[in-house]
Amino acid sequence: MKRGTRRIETQLAVIGTGIAGFAASIFALQRGLDVAQFGHSGAMAYTTGYLDLLGVHDQRVRDDPWAALDELRLDEPKHPMSGVSNETIRTAFNGFTEALGDMGIGYSKAGDCNLSALLPNGIAKPTLSVPDTMLPGVVALETGAKTLVLDFDGLQGFSAKAFEVNFSERWSGLRSARMAFPGMENRQIFPEVLARSLETRATQEALADLIRPLLNGAEYVGLPAILGMHAPDAVRSKMEQAIGATLFEIPTIPPAVPGIRLRECFERAFPEKGVRLEPQLKVADVEFGTAGATLHLHGPMEDIVVEASAVLLATGRFLSGGLRSDQHSLSESLLDIPIRQPASREEWFRHEYLDPRGHPVNRLGVEVDSAFRPVIPDGDPVNERLFAAGAILSHQDWARQRCGAGLAIATAYGATEAAAAALG
Amino acid sequence: MGAHSRRETLDFLKVAKDLLPDGASYDACVGCGICASGCPASGLFGMDPRRFINMAMLGMNEELSTTPWVWACTQCKRCAYLCPMGIDVSQLVGAARGAWATEEKPSGIVRSCAAQRLDESTSAMGLMSEDFVEIVEETLEELQEDDPRFSKLTVPIDKVGAKFVINQNSREPATEPEEMAPLWKILDYVGADWTYASKGWAAENFCMFTGDPDAWKDMVETRVDAINALECETWINTECGHSFYTLWAGIEKFGLEANFEAESLVTYYAQWIREGKLPVNSDWNKDNLKFTVQDPCQLVRKSIGDQAADDLRFVVKTLVGEENFIDMQPCRSANYCCGGGGGFLQAGMSKERRAYGKRKFDQIIATEADYVLTPCHNCHSQIYDVGEHFGGAYTVTHLWTLICLSLGILGPNERKYLGPDLAGINLPETS
Amino acid sequence: MSSLSARTFEAEVLVIGGGATGSGIMRDLALRGITCLLVDRKDLNAGASGGNHGLLHSGGRYATADAETAAECRREGDILKRLAPECIDDCGGLFVAVEGDDEDFAARFPEHCRVAGIPCEALTAAEAREREPALPDAIAAAYAVPDATIDPFRIVLENVGHAQRLNDSTYLPHTEVEAFEIADGVITKTLCRDRRSGDLVEIRARQIINASGAWAEKVARLAGCADVNLLYSKGTLLITNTRVTKGVVNRLRLPDDGDILVPGGTVSLLGTSSVTVENPDGIAPTVSEVDRILAEGATMLPVLNETRFVRAFSGVRPLLKSAGSEADGRKANRGFALFDHEDQGLSNFATVAGGKFTTFRLMAETAGDLVARRLGNAEPCKTDLDPLPSGDALRWTEPGAAARDWYKRSDPTDTILCECEMVARSVVDTIIGQAPGAEDHMSLKAIALRSRIGKGACQGAFCSMRVTAHLYDREVYDSPDGLRLMRDFVNERYKGVRPVLWGAQMPQAELAEILHCGLGGMDLPAGKDGGTTT
Repeated sequence: MKRGTRRIETQLAVIGTGIAGFAASIFALQRGLDVAQFGHSGAMAYTTGYLDLLGVHDQRVRDDPWAALDELRLDEPKHPMSGVSNETIRTAFNGFTEALGDMGIGYSKAGDCNLSALLPNGIAKPTLSVPDTMLPGVVALETGAKTLVLDFDGLQGFSAKAFEVNFSERWSGLRSARMAFPGMENRQIFPEVLARSLETRATQEALADLIRPLLNGAEYVGLPAILGMHAPDAVRSKMEQAIGATLFEIPTIPPAVPGIRLRECFERAFPEKGVRLEPQLKVADVEFGTAGATLHLHGPMEDIVVEASAVLLATGRFLSGGLRSDQHSLSESLLDIPIRQPASREEWFRHEYLDPRGHPVNRLGVEVDSAFRPVIPDGDPVNERLFAAGAILSHQDWARQRCGAGLAIATAYGATEAAAAALG
Repeated sequence: MGAHSRRETLDFLKVAKDLLPDGASYDACVGCGICASGCPASGLFGMDPRRFINMAMLGMNEELSTTPWVWACTQCKRCAYLCPMGIDVSQLVGAARGAWATEEKPSGIVRSCAAQRLDESTSAMGLMSEDFVEIVEETLEELQEDDPRFSKLTVPIDKVGAKFVINQNSREPATEPEEMAPLWKILDYVGADWTYASKGWAAENFCMFTGDPDAWKDMVETRVDAINALECETWINTECGHSFYTLWAGIEKFGLEANFEAESLVTYYAQWIREGKLPVNSDWNKDNLKFTVQDPCQLVRKSIGDQAADDLRFVVKTLVGEENFIDMQPCRSANYCCGGGGGFLQAGMSKERRAYGKRKFDQIIATEADYVLTPCHNCHSQIYDVGEHFGGAYTVTHLWTLICLSLGILGPNERKYLGPDLAGINLPETS
Repeated sequence: MSSLSARTFEAEVLVIGGGATGSGIMRDLALRGITCLLVDRKDLNAGASGGNHGLLHSGGRYATADAETAAECRREGDILKRLAPECIDDCGGLFVAVEGDDEDFAARFPEHCRVAGIPCEALTAAEAREREPALPDAIAAAYAVPDATIDPFRIVLENVGHAQRLNDSTYLPHTEVEAFEIADGVITKTLCRDRRSGDLVEIRARQIINASGAWAEKVARLAGCADVNLLYSKGTLLITNTRVTKGVVNRLRLPDDGDILVPGGTVSLLGTSSVTVENPDGIAPTVSEVDRILAEGATMLPVLNETRFVRAFSGVRPLLKSAGSEADGRKANRGFALFDHEDQGLSNFATVAGGKFTTFRLMAETAGDLVARRLGNAEPCKTDLDPLPSGDALRWTEPGAAARDWYKRSDPTDTILCECEMVARSVVDTIIGQAPGAEDHMSLKAIALRSRIGKGACQGAFCSMRVTAHLYDREVYDSPDGLRLMRDFVNERYKGVRPVLWGAQMPQAELAEILHCGLGGMDLPAGKDGGTTT
């Protein structure tokens, strides 16, 4: 028995299955490129579902992300988003959220201002676009509407009470209650399991029956993010009809639904769109030749050899495996692209965890030129056909700057544009 | 299961080091719980995959060596699929199973494995090689007599040099031999050059489920020897998941020499349809009955990957009509195990097995499908059972039944897995 | 003891310092029928008692340089093993010389042990590796000694808990001594500050014992006593993710950096360094200390090079100053001293300082004898005879205890809040209700001190949020303060995580930061969007 080999030919091989990778595939498709995407699960699993553009700049929370981007270009010219114009970012952002909407997860359109989106602890964060299932929460907070927030016995780490207490000062109509989730009494429960269960009519009805008597005049009902997995907007609408109030979701700590939802959405929709997606395989190695690159992957039963005319690296940081470290240095995991870095580990992290300047290590990564081609620091592109996007890029601190989705989307857009140009 | 003695207490961290490749050891766990959240066995016996890892880290080797959870984990590898660090709990579960004293292991699994090792037939239902040959011959005779269209149909056994050697789940010859006929008809229809092997023909491998690698190896060796002897190009695994995985993975794991390629029957269904050899269509589905399909973990996630899921969907959509096919979510490589795998069906833990299967049941119900197609025997049994238990109004069917139905060659006695809505559809004219 | 007003207390004895010694004195006196008020400016084990290996020395480590301390360790170790077995893992220890180590030193070791009365068994290299498979091939010499480990948190909690049950002895956390009122050679009133509320706390006690460890010199000076002179020796330790060895493994040489690996239940602790510092406050482990300790440790146990470390921490050894000790803390006497301060003109004040964790009971006995005599109490010390009973709310610092308990009870409704260490809601509730300090406001940090919460691989990334949510549910928290306490907690954990951030701990840290900032808003100022900082 020989170990099988499957061969794939593609114009663009996207490596990485986070927001940047999926966005890159979407943009490449929109440009008419033939795309194959490979990767394994990573940091996207831990998202709130909110798509930040730029929420914090110069250590200050920003209402207007577009104005903040203008400042960013002046203050941080090397920031990967600085090389993309506001207009292009807006096009890319809306292109991405519209694609998500087509695939089954509705998102609010990018506006001129950041939204105050809800967090489980009863505080808000600045973000640009939120899933339709979460948008009414933004409105309810803004208006201080009569709202009932619920949590469930056995659900770790989400406290409607905490939400209520911490929002109480600015949200007069807020109340909280706890209930047992129908069919899941007396046990530890995961949001994912509740979400799946809510895809059946029986559970929708049973839960609505429990919620209705608690309304007591509430216009809004907030729930942890559990409103279905693959058709959340439909589940929400059915539940709203059954309850007679507007529903919204609040993100929860991992393992949480929004990240799983996005991943399953891409996994479901991409093959239909003609992207050859291997979402469970890490690329083992890449060799560049004269006409592009050869990628090697090892499936359980067979090896996959990909001949790609261009490669887009969107493998993320440490959590997603794009970067790794030993006691002395950082490196890029797949191609060993040189990373400019301080001489000692001492310089990686600041002494205070929550130092508002962020940790220097977060700004280390792959250096790219204006065409999003990784370069040897102070040198030439690693390869004319290699592009990079997302969190692996240097000169950004997406978590602190609240720009994760913006970074992923803007750079994926820029990198696919450059790749398309290179491919003619 | 009450208190149990054990053969040994494993040092799970050491086992993990030995079994798991670099970088995917338990030490890489970031504790996020994605594995536990996505595992249908979570909560059974208080366990889940993350807890298994954490207990190993905490040195709770006694507990891990005795928890009955290892028999409720179906080793479906969904945890490894989801884990950002690629940690595979299923291999440790296999090791834990192996640490149980034989008399304490679920007797259904142990008995089935023992039965498989009794005879070169490798049948878990104790069917000897000569019995199998006799049943095949008798069934064939009846078929030839009942339906003149198949009077010349042959079922080669031990035909050296045939292109395909195909295995057969014991359930059919042992309890419902007429269910073998649809597959024979399909193979006849496409003109396949195929054969059964009188030795090692059985498409089940409970020995892997016992956690005893020697037994697993023994089972695979018997089969590989039998298949090698026939000098066939390709070994086709019938509509079943785990017997496929255990064979190819066993060949790799134990370094065995095999002179054949391993393929799934589903791959060939798809190929034959594409080649026009199996001209199936959905014309029969006039009532637009809705169908969903169960991706067998052993075939899709653990073996061929989404390629197999694509083939499966191509076959099913052609058979039932694109518009009548509804996927469960999640599906393909991300699909949930139904709870019938890993020997769980034979482990005598009905309460836990059904709790596990509830997630599958909800998935099916959410599709509102009338039929669930299961190209795997264990999936078939489990999905049928949870449907009965939780009150689902769906019917569970094999692919071969629908293929023959569409071709108009499904005999009246081959319809036990069709609902009344299809019992009278496309009956062969001659019968 | 009775409370005159909300913030005024009276007690027979005021004990200052909630470490091993202070808690030991509290129990020692309670067993003699004397009630105490124990105060700490932070919480239990905030100093050296919480910043050490948890090594219950056989004495082997001191056998060569300080036979007296070595013998004392052996005697005290035996007593604790007998009377507090639940706090101790009698795992045994090895002294191992690797190639290149001083052969003469190794050769003299058995004789030094014999003199100190420490059982010492010579092992061949093969025998040593049989006991500890992680040892390298190149072993020059190996001896087995009766080292053990002690859970420093558990024993201190048990001391306080037992004293509370014996009589009306009380414990006040976050209460810092600011001044003493003295009249006619007697301290009449001790003025303290509640460090959380800022309230003044006045304590009237007949006797005051200063057992504040590294802060003992400062406290003594507040009472005008200049006779306590301490040397502060900072020691840093690294914590592994899983237990590396079965028993203690010591490098067979004069004590130096990175030469002891001590099991701590489910983990191992590698240490330690010794650096003289000016001030016992504000110390934290550094990258260079960690690298040096690891490099030395890996010489003895190469497996440490591939080991995941989850944290480092530092403690300050309060050593008694003596000639030659200034330059090198390791040369300082590890013995202790009791200062009755009578030559300083005080009759109801005493300080006990120096010493080692292993000898805390003896230190408490010595101080207890003095106080009892001063109070006219004739009861003898009982801590060398009476077993230490175990309290239900006090046994959760033992690694793995909560996990095993949860697994055994198999109550599906008892949700786990800390998954790494498998600490369930019921354990947290028990601690909130009954552990020492429970009379007071029990925060996430206080619960973590009394359990394994925050100690696993995730270092509080997840459990900080889950426990905080639970504390809101339980109405322990009823204001945004709960979020600030959570932020303070992860901030504090980070100080120990920072120097071990590489390899497998990097994705963990990245995930933590994503959660704490993206989902928890902890890095942003409180405001319309965000945050928890003020």
